[in-house]
Amino acid sequence: MNLVIRKREESLGWGVLVVYLGALALAFCVCALLLKMSGKPGFGGLAILFRGAFGQTYALLDGLVKAIPIFLCALGVALSFRMQVWNIGAEGQFALGAVGATWAALTFPGLPGVALMPLMLLCAMLAGAAWGAIPAALRLRLGVSEVISSLMLNYIGILLLEYLVFGVWKDPASFGFPMTAEFASGGQIARILPGVLGKLHWGLLACPVAGVAYWVLLSRTRLGFEIAAAGEGERVARYAQLPYGFLVFFVMGLGGALSGLAGSIETSATLGRLQPTIMVGYGYTAIVVAWLARLRPWAIAFTAYLLAAFRVGGEVMQLELQVPAAFGPIMEGAILLCVLAGQFFLTYSVSLRPSPKAARPAPPANDANDAAKGARS
Amino acid sequence: MSPELIIALFAAAVQAGTPILFATLGEIVSEKAGVMNLGVEGVIALSAFAAFVVCHLTGSAWLGLLAGGLAGTLLCGLHSLVCQVFLGNQVVSGLALTLFGVGLATFLGTPYVGQATEGFGKIAVPLLSDIPVLGPILFRHDTLVYLGYIAPVAVWFLLNRTSLGLGLRAAGEMPAAAAAAGLNPQRLRAFGVLAGGFLCGLGGAYLSLAHTHLWTTGLSGGRGWVAVALVIFAFWRPGRAVIGALLFGGVMAFQLRLQASGTNIPSSLLLMLPYALTVIVLVFSAARARERSGASAAPAALGVNIEPEG
Amino acid sequence: MDERKHTGSPLGTPHGARPDARTDIGTDLGIGDVLPQVRLTGVTKRFGNVLANDGISLSIMPGRIKALLGENGAGKSTLMAMLAGRFKPDEGRIEVAGKAVDFASPREAIAAGIGMVYQHFMLVENMTVAENVLLGQEGGFFLNPAEMRRVVGGLAERYGLPIDPGARVGDLSMGERQRVEILKLLHRESQVLIFDEPTAVLTPLEAEALFAALRAMSAQGKAIVFISHKLEEVLSVADEIAILRRGRIEGEFLASEVHSPAELARRMVGRDVVLEIDRDEVSAGRMVLDVKHLSGEGLEDVSLDLKRGEILAIVGVAGNGQQQLVEVVCGIAEPQAGEVSILGKSWADFFHSRGWKGELAWIPEDRAGLATGRGLSLTDNLLLTTREGFAHGQWLERGRASETTRGIVRDNDVRPGRIEAQAWQLSGGNLQKFVLGRELYREPRLIVAEQPTQGLDVSATEAVWQRLLESRRTAGVLLVTGDLSEALQLADRVAVMFRGRVMGLFPVTDTAQVERIGSLMAGLRD
Repeated sequence: MNLVIRKREESLGWGVLVVYLGALALAFCVCALLLKMSGKPGFGGLAILFRGAFGQTYALLDGLVKAIPIFLCALGVALSFRMQVWNIGAEGQFALGAVGATWAALTFPGLPGVALMPLMLLCAMLAGAAWGAIPAALRLRLGVSEVISSLMLNYIGILLLEYLVFGVWKDPASFGFPMTAEFASGGQIARILPGVLGKLHWGLLACPVAGVAYWVLLSRTRLGFEIAAAGEGERVARYAQLPYGFLVFFVMGLGGALSGLAGSIETSATLGRLQPTIMVGYGYTAIVVAWLARLRPWAIAFTAYLLAAFRVGGEVMQLELQVPAAFGPIMEGAILLCVLAGQFFLTYSVSLRPSPKAARPAPPANDANDAAKGARS
Repeated sequence: MSPELIIALFAAAVQAGTPILFATLGEIVSEKAGVMNLGVEGVIALSAFAAFVVCHLTGSAWLGLLAGGLAGTLLCGLHSLVCQVFLGNQVVSGLALTLFGVGLATFLGTPYVGQATEGFGKIAVPLLSDIPVLGPILFRHDTLVYLGYIAPVAVWFLLNRTSLGLGLRAAGEMPAAAAAAGLNPQRLRAFGVLAGGFLCGLGGAYLSLAHTHLWTTGLSGGRGWVAVALVIFAFWRPGRAVIGALLFGGVMAFQLRLQASGTNIPSSLLLMLPYALTVIVLVFSAARARERSGASAAPAALGVNIEPEG
Repeated sequence: MDERKHTGSPLGTPHGARPDARTDIGTDLGIGDVLPQVRLTGVTKRFGNVLANDGISLSIMPGRIKALLGENGAGKSTLMAMLAGRFKPDEGRIEVAGKAVDFASPREAIAAGIGMVYQHFMLVENMTVAENVLLGQEGGFFLNPAEMRRVVGGLAERYGLPIDPGARVGDLSMGERQRVEILKLLHRESQVLIFDEPTAVLTPLEAEALFAALRAMSAQGKAIVFISHKLEEVLSVADEIAILRRGRIEGEFLASEVHSPAELARRMVGRDVVLEIDRDEVSAGRMVLDVKHLSGEGLEDVSLDLKRGEILAIVGVAGNGQQQLVEVVCGIAEPQAGEVSILGKSWADFFHSRGWKGELAWIPEDRAGLATGRGLSLTDNLLLTTREGFAHGQWLERGRASETTRGIVRDNDVRPGRIEAQAWQLSGGNLQKFVLGRELYREPRLIVAEQPTQGLDVSATEAVWQRLLESRRTAGVLLVTGDLSEALQLADRVAVMFRGRVMGLFPVTDTAQVERIGSLMAGLRD
């Protein structure tokens, strides 16, 4: 028997679902095994996680709240991944967004909400975009790999946030806790229906707007086409006279702006002030989401919610089983590794072929490649 | 600053540079074979934990070191599996590996937080340690630092003076040529990734066994990413990796000293130093690479998976 | 040489492709008093439902040069890959020196004395000559570079293939690189040396040197297989010729039995081939390209001009400045010194205000990685160069683009016919037809075509030639080609390039000059 591996001509259809579910199942098994190893119930622990994530209305709503920043960051990441630009700086751009919004809120506390809120969002997006533009500039001008520079800017951005919160922006009335003063009410995003919809806030509106804009951009506009085409590499981009440098700036800048937006929404809606605790790794989760969703907006929305729900469930499990918070990234890492491996089966077909037997009549091949590739099904 | 202080600072730089050196060498071996491994951060974290636990339980620092190396090998084996067998994107797989490795170290290590282990003690090399200035800087350290003196030479020798190294480089430059020469590029790459993982693992082990001597979370602290950047700085040459590791060790030691001395510079700004330096170093190496344009130092097939034929 | 029987070949007759006869001939040449170095019997290889090799029987004799002739896709590379241990045959037997073998890896094939020189050299550019030659054959775990250089230097001297063993392969010329490949095989003491299209990258002089080396090696008893589709070459160097068509051996005979390239071509294709293509005269129109004293970036004082209705062929061995010239003309690189004017505008003006239609179209040599995006659908690939025609501001008319793509696919017979197919799913010929269709859709007045038929089979080549000739009515064509016969078929005038210079520029009717093209390509003026 021979193992035959061949590139697929047609997409797998429903098989995609099977592959994904299989990969998820494998990742969950790994997680259960880890729980078991540390003396906790394995699948029982996961059951607690699922119940915590999907068992109650408020948990579902909580997941939705957490999905907002993840979704926005993931859109930003997906935009640059589309172009094969490896922006992994969403975390830092998120931090800068929070810083930008906080600056506006602390500098103009007297403004009415209709003026302050847009200003905060604008500052956040500008700060995030600027943070994203740095790796773009370094890559274009000097050929510095954006992977490492954008990652280093995550650390620097978070430390910058801490510096401000521990220092110049610290609220004198905070009893030494690292936090800014609470924003004026015009600088806070309100909850939609506090009694009914829990912590769900108006920041949610940003998601459909950004999601639809992303979809329209990539599928209907010339710029979106140019981004996708530039993802085929710099040589093709040059041949097609694509403004490659501008596109790198555009995807990194817009991606940064989206992450910055996420940062400002998170600051102003869930906390109402800036605190280092807002940095919980949404920017990294966003990378996982973007890749799992294969950069498609609807899939990003779904996956962002799923991973946000796992975070909610993870917190419940953390409390009930005394599991460290690190379980979250483990799960995300395991899921990503398994899906990454599973995606092999989307591109390639693997079949067992019996050892050579008697020849069966076959049409003569004039051009082996031609015929193989011309085969329609 | 007094001469004693400067000597102490240099000695601390050598120590702080050692784990980065091991990780950089590990990544060089992996990348020379054509596989980019952005999971170094996770590898360091996990191997630091593995080394700590084994040393803690058995009392043997050497067994701990071995465990660190093997944990690195194992985690990189996952990378090799995902990228070489399942042809996953190397960048994304590396990121996943970092998430997984750092998470796992924290998760498994939680019960041990704050616990101490003996690890490696300092051994002054007879005679050499008495040399003025150089003696205290170079020869009054733990065994792993001395191992770190040998490692770059060993890696250089492996890559340039053995048939295995020649094949490994061929697998990183042009896998098809290696295959046509009757070698198995997949196997050579796997060797590079695993051996590189072992070296990174030694770097991780250093952190818990010789640096802190106790277990805390977040021990890797971005060192893995620094190592990835230093590979570019080093132009994939083990000798230059030493310079880079010393540079970073120096900055880290300096920054720690400054914090300890009760300066009024906020610690967040001091902590930024190594990360900012990484970016600066990258800019510098990119400019250098541009000057010597033509032959790029990066292996030609770096990051490109070998696709199945037929 | 021994007296073997070569008579009775039914394919000696002009119209001779008779599939039923193939097995007889395949074994016929192997029968003699010398044991074949390699004997294939009934070797078959399938990929999916595609029969790449169908019952091939072939004998490769020591001390003989056998040419294997066939079009692209005839199954040559599959056959060679099996000999080199990269694929396993589905059926049939391979014997080396009388013993059946079953190669599990290239390593085993090498050990059995079979060596390949691939068309795209299998050399690591970042390593030295010595390292490349000894890769996988170091003879010990530890390496001694000085010793390695000595061994390789000695080998080079012994076989009269001078080369610096310490040089970086990336710094060598194509001819020198090929020498490194040959040294690799000689070092392994390969008894069978297989050359896949070895002259494609060589100057005529380098090719002559290679032929001399082949003859010398064959005189030393090596069995040599020479894969080519250049008929003259095959006739001049081979002792025996085997023709591969549609995965089968369709004929095997002595080179001395063939009297002309045309006869060989007929045997290769199985019908009379139009080696001559009809080209009616088109009267020359306005100047579309005018290059004056262009220098820099590897070019030296290049001057040429092109009018509508005319094809100007740039010939020369690859890497003599053609690429730099194309990059300037196509707006990728700025002219350093000298003047370039396109469609009556200066270079800067033209590329500053460049429109997508009615201007310049570029059909690059690399159709899979430059002219198209591998992972893009055909519609997206159409938009690559025509998106301005389908955009209203930022809005992209995808529906109309799909419609247009469908039309191009239909008119140019691009297979498979669905427009959702991604570029990597198309064969080279179909992709080229698509690229040509797309570029002509732009109604260009200046066309730059680089190696437009490289790797295409005869029918695709004919189609491409036809379209280029037709396009003369509205455009001037700058044809960059390494294939002299293509240049002479299509062009009105020929410019020969060597080391960034134009060595000569003359009409194809100037037979005296045309005779000298070979030496001009090698940089010899007299």
